[in-house]
Order: sequence, then structure tokens, then C-alpha cells
Amino acid sequence: MDILYLLIPLSVALVFFILAGLWWAIHRGQFEDIEAEGERILRND
Amino acid sequence: MHVKLSSPLLSYLQNMTQVNVLPSLPDLHASALAGQAAMPLESADRLKLLDDPAEWAAFSLPEKDRAGHWSSSVVFEGMHCAACAITLEDALRAVPGVESVQISSASHRGRVVWSPEQTRPSEWMQSVERFGYKAVPANDAHAHEHRRQEARRMVWRLSVAAMCMMQVMMYATPAYVSAPGDISAESMHLLRWASWVLSLPVMLFSCAPFFGSAWRDLRERQVSMDLPVALGMVVTFVVSSLGTFEPAGPFGAEVYFDSLTMFVFFLLMGRWLELRLRDRTAGALEAVLNRLPDSIRKRLPDGTWERISIRRLAVGDVIEVLPGEAFAGDGRVLSGQTQVDEALLTGESLPLTRKAGDRVIAGSHNLSATLEVQIEQVGAATRYAQIVALMESASVSKPSMALLVDRWAKPFLISVLLASFASAIYWWPTDPAHALMVAVAVLIVTCPCALSLATPAAMLATAGALARSGVLVRRLEALQNLAGIDTLIFDKTGTLTRDAFEVAQIHTRSGVSPQQALTWASTLARHSWHPVSRALWAEARRQAELGGDLPALDAMLARNVNEEAGQGMRGDLDMPCGVKLSLRLGSAVFCKAPTFNGHHLQVSLADDAGWLATFELAEELRPEAPGVVAELKKMGLTLKVLSGDGPAAVAQVAQSVGIPDARGGCNPQDKLQALKQWQAQGHRVAMVGDGLNDGPVLAGADVSFALGQAVPLAQSKADFVLMGGQLGVLISTVTRSRQTLRIVKQNLAWAAVYNAACVPLALMGFLPAWAAGLGMALSSLLVVLNALRLAQGLTPTPLHNLDLIHPATLTAS
Repeated sequence: MDILYLLIPLSVALVFFILAGLWWAIHRGQFEDIEAEGERILRND
Repeated sequence: MHVKLSSPLLSYLQNMTQVNVLPSLPDLHASALAGQAAMPLESADRLKLLDDPAEWAAFSLPEKDRAGHWSSSVVFEGMHCAACAITLEDALRAVPGVESVQISSASHRGRVVWSPEQTRPSEWMQSVERFGYKAVPANDAHAHEHRRQEARRMVWRLSVAAMCMMQVMMYATPAYVSAPGDISAESMHLLRWASWVLSLPVMLFSCAPFFGSAWRDLRERQVSMDLPVALGMVVTFVVSSLGTFEPAGPFGAEVYFDSLTMFVFFLLMGRWLELRLRDRTAGALEAVLNRLPDSIRKRLPDGTWERISIRRLAVGDVIEVLPGEAFAGDGRVLSGQTQVDEALLTGESLPLTRKAGDRVIAGSHNLSATLEVQIEQVGAATRYAQIVALMESASVSKPSMALLVDRWAKPFLISVLLASFASAIYWWPTDPAHALMVAVAVLIVTCPCALSLATPAAMLATAGALARSGVLVRRLEALQNLAGIDTLIFDKTGTLTRDAFEVAQIHTRSGVSPQQALTWASTLARHSWHPVSRALWAEARRQAELGGDLPALDAMLARNVNEEAGQGMRGDLDMPCGVKLSLRLGSAVFCKAPTFNGHHLQVSLADDAGWLATFELAEELRPEAPGVVAELKKMGLTLKVLSGDGPAAVAQVAQSVGIPDARGGCNPQDKLQALKQWQAQGHRVAMVGDGLNDGPVLAGADVSFALGQAVPLAQSKADFVLMGGQLGVLISTVTRSRQTLRIVKQNLAWAAVYNAACVPLALMGFLPAWAAGLGMALSSLLVVLNALRLAQGLTPTPLHNLDLIHPATLTAS
């Protein structure tokens, strides 16, 4: 079970990695206008 | 966004979740396009005002990331759908100097980042107008930005708590599912260590608001909900950390990181939902605050027009109001005829016609044509500003039930702290770790939030819904009182009747038909604006229209008409047969008419040969009055009329609307005395008046309503103001107040039962911390959601008895 010594710290790191992604998404305002993405299909470009 | 054509403002308000901008009126799009040709010159003026750097700060912020750039908050008018947003974004990006554009089609708001070195606000705003839309600077940029930041931080705290909670749960699962000894001590230690690492961001970042306000409470020697919560968090974290790093210590090796993170997550979730709810109410208020235009076209003494900022508008100015614009002040129409939308201010959802001489109110919208308006009131003196002030003051007033709960919250919290301390001491000898966790569960599970939210949440939701239907609540307390009333007293004048008269009866000289007399009288009456004359003219026209000879009536013109002040009118009428009639219309003395016994106002008609006819005029009932009365009776209310008018007239009006108990000839003292008498008999009395003449009576009643558009709100002492002057909303207001009280009681009962059940469970040690957190979050949420049921708009009560109103009857004597 020595692999746990790698996997568990890795999972902790993964959480921080995901949180960094969430931070980026939230602070770019991606959760403020949920409808905008759906409407993109109407765009010309 | 779906917009109902019948009442755009109301439906717009119902969509308040995301919207806090100027409304999109249905015909704005069309009118903006139609006016496009004339626009460049006109709007250039308006927009030039915004090029002054001093004005920028009102709607823009310096961009943080790019020095020298400004980020402006703009509201777009005329947007309907996502395609509009795309067109606008493309149009704006094409302007040199505009760095980036973001437009939300849901809120009609956008952010434009631009560089003052290359462009000016007027330039890019004009590019918007070239496409048929209108850009308006959002003056609440700072408040809006602040709320946006707050919401962002909240979502971020919640996300951190959610992610960490999920992972900590993963690490906790093996310990729950495995048999003792299955997992090696090293692996267990590793899992605990990982949980500790992931709990750190939750403690240090996500919980910061709780610690912040707990610390503030401590410094100010206050007790609030955050104190036990923060205490619980710290204790759990310390115990678990000791368990992780010192398994041999006094608290054993047990860890509670999963409970801790889950509890924080539930709590933050509850706070976040509360925040959104608050933003919604703030948004509704903001919609009202945002309704005035920021610049207007004012006429200069030499007859030319100049565009000025609204701050420079003064009483007496003549301004031009284009279709789609809001009126900047209260005023009188000088020229032009249009339809206006006053839905938000009076609750009247249909467009109203306004022509020269009519009054218009600030904040209402001009819908169809250009008007010239002379301003009579500006700023705080306008009816609009009074409404805003009223809404603000009502929303901070506290009903007595809430005050009662607040008074009890503090001792309750202190006893909770003591109880948790006591439980810790009690359990300590058996197992110190368990003792602490029991104390934590007690701290967390108690929820005075639900108790103190129960009343204000429900009442604010109701006040908001009522405001949208044109009912202003001055004190939230009144909602509670209204639910308990059993007697409703009408003050006849202006409440059951309109200010206009109608022809009730016509007595004529033998040989003259009532129709003929009416026609002759109307030829004089049409020259006067006296209410009596207008009633005669309206009735004559109505009859002629029924008989199909309206053109003949319109063609009959009296000559040499003159009015004798206080007496009546005289004039000559040429009959088709060649006879000339010299007519007099006025008081009985003026016409030498016989007097008729009756309680109505009488007006007579005479020719050279003497008396011709006498018209009896009754005050016109409000068309909805009988229906409303019937409906209110059905709701179990006793109705009475107390009036200062003649007893016979009062009895007649009361009878025609269906109220048996009527008292006339009362002066204010009599009314107050009668009121006190009823109250002494144990009745709870509501008074419906015009809000002005009945001051003492309104103040003496348990609940009071003021009715009518003419009420100066600032002077009105009534608890409720029915702004549209419609009696019908009386029914829905009473119904809604009863619902409100019911929901408040449900909420209080729930909060009491919850606390009574959970605190003993926690004390006995049956409740783990995570369940306590879930219970607490759920119980506040339940209270708020229950209250939200009241926020939906009022449905207009259908009236079945409209055919009870009798048309004026004509009888020859």
C-alpha cells in the first residue's frame, strides 16, 4: 500500500489544482451571466 | 426576456432576479428606429454632456488592469434578446479606442472598457444609437459593482468549502466503512494529515466572515449567531488537529474534519441564498431609484432648446419629453397628447392618456408622442421621491413581533452558550473528545436565525409584492394589524364615489321630454368646465350616441353664451324650426324653478317662458365599489360608512353599494367617537379615507388606508396608501396580510419546534456536528423560502357584481 503515500498527496494537490481553475472561472465572471454561453449559438462569427 | 405587452413594467419587475435596469418598453424599439433619422443631432447634444471627465466617475471606474482606461457601466434600452446583445457588442467593438465590451442580455447591462486618449463616451454611445438602441450611463455603478464583488467573493468561499468538503469526505470514508484494524496506523495518519491540509483553506478562508463578525461581537460585548458558530468551528478544528498530530493526547485520535467542512459548506450555502434574496429586494428598489433620466431638453427664454443635466432642472422650466423617456419632474403638459405608463408609481397597468393641462409625474414613462411639460416639482418634492422615501423607510421599520423575537434572541444565545459549556463538563469525565463534540453540536444546532428571520422576511416580501400593485406600506407593523381587523369603515367622499357627478333624474315641464331638456341644457353646458356642466354634457352625448344622432348634437351651438359667476349660464339657441330659445342654466333661483325634495344636487334649466327642467345629479359611484363591498363582506368583515355628508345622500350611496350601516352628518369628532366606541366593544377597526381630512380618525383606527392619487404622500398618516385609487386592491391587501400573518406564524412555529427538538438531542449527544450544521442551514432556508411565497405579484380579484351599477335613469315628472 505504499502507493498511497503518492496518491493521497496527489489528490490533495489535485484539489488545489481544481480550486485554481475555479478561481479563474469565478473571477472572470463566468457564473454571473449563465445565459450568455447558450446564446453564443446565435452569433455570426 | 419575455415581456408581456399589457404591462411591461410589472412583468419587468417580476423578472427582477437579474434585472435592475431601466425597463424595455415594448414600443421603444420601434420608436427608437423611427426616430433614427432625426437622432444624430439631438442625441449628440445629450451625449456631449458625458464627455466632461467630471461626469465619468458617476458611471465609470478607472480600469485596474490597464492604466489610463476607464470601465463604464451602461444600461441599454431597446434590447430584446440575445441577438441585440451581439449586434451591440459588434457595434461597440468597431469604435476605435473601445478595448472590450461585455453585455448581458438578461440584465440589459454592459461594461465597456475604453481609453480616453482615443475616444469619448459620446462617441461609442452614438455608435449604439446608430443601431437603434440607446445607451444610458448606469449611475449606480458603484453600488452595483460592490454587490457584484460581494457575490463573487461569496461564490468563491462557497466553492472552496464545497471542493474541500468533498475531498475530506473521501478521506473520512475508509474510517467509517472499515473494521477496526483493517487500515494500518500509518495509512490512517496519512488520511488525517491530508484532511487537515484541506481543512486549512476552509478554516482560514471560507470561515473568515464568521470569525470576523464573532470577533466584532466580542469586542462590542454583543452576542449574535456568529459567536457560537465560530466557537464551534474553532473547538472542532483544534480537537481534530490535536487528534491528528498528537493521537496520544487527552482528546484521543478521533478527528472531525468531515463534520467541520460539511457544516461550513451548509452554512455558507444558506448565507449565499440569503444574499441573493437580499439582492433581489435591493434590485427592486434600485429599479425605482433608477427611473429618472440623467439629462433633459430645456427651453431657453429665446425659444431654443438646450440639453441640461437633471441636476440643473428647476421649477418652472419647460422641457421636452420624447417617447420612451421618463419624466424628470412632476409637471403639467403644455402641448401634445400622449400615453403614459405609471405602473410602478400608481399600480395602474394600462397606459393612460395625457393631454395639454394634465399632470404628469416624475418617474413615469412617456410612451407615444413628444410632449412639452412645465415642471412644477423637482427632486425631493416630487411624488416619485416621496414614494422612494416611503419604500425605504418602511423596509427598515421593524414589526413588533420581530422586536419581540430580537429581545429574546440574546438571552437565548447566552443560555445556549451556557448549556454547551455545561454539557462539556458533564461528559468530560467519560470522554473528553466526545464531551467537546457534544458541546460543539449544541453550539451549532441552535438556530435563532430562523426565529429572527421569520417575521421580517415574510413582511418584506409582502410589502414588495404590494408595492408592485400600487399599495405602499408605511409601517410593516400594519400588515400584522390588518390581518386581525373585523370592521372596515368607509369615509364616503372620495372612497366609494368618484369626484364626478352623474345625472340621476330629470324633472320637466309638461310637454318637454327629458331628452329634449337634456339636449338644450348641454348646448350651454359644453361651454363650461364646471363638474356639473361636464356631467350634463357627458350624459347628453351618451344619450345622443345611443340614439345615433351625435352629429346633430355636436352641430347644435348656442350663441352669446356667458357665465354668471355663482349663478349659472345663459345663451341663445336657434332651433331648426326657426324659433330662438333664450336659455338659462343654473341654480333654482336663477331659473325661477320650483324646488324638488331630494338629497341630490339640483340644477335647473329655464327659457323666457319660465322653468323648463330640473336635473338631479348624483355623485358617481366607483364602478368597482359594489363588487368590492360584496367581496369584503364575504371575507367576514363588517362594513360601515361614516361620513360628513348629508345623512340622506350617505344612506343612498351606502345602500347602492350594499352597506346597511351608514351614518351621515358626522364631523371628525363624531367619527373619532364612533370609532372609539367600536374599539371599546372589542372590534378591530380599519378606516378607509382620502388620507387628508380624516387625520385624527385615521390615526385612531387600528389600521388606516388612504385612497386616491391626489394624496400628498408626505402628509398622509395612513398605514397603507392605495396609489392607483382603485378600491379593488383593498381586497387583495387584506387577503395578503392574512396570508402574511399565517406564514409568520408557521415560520415562528417551525423555528420554535426545531430548536425545542434539536437542542435536547444535541445535549444528550445524539447529534453529530455535521447533522447539526445541516439542520441549522435547512431551518433558516425553510423560513426564507416560506416567506418568498409571499413575494409573487397580487392577482387582481375578479369582480362579479359589476352589473349592479345602475345607469342614470330618466323619469319625467
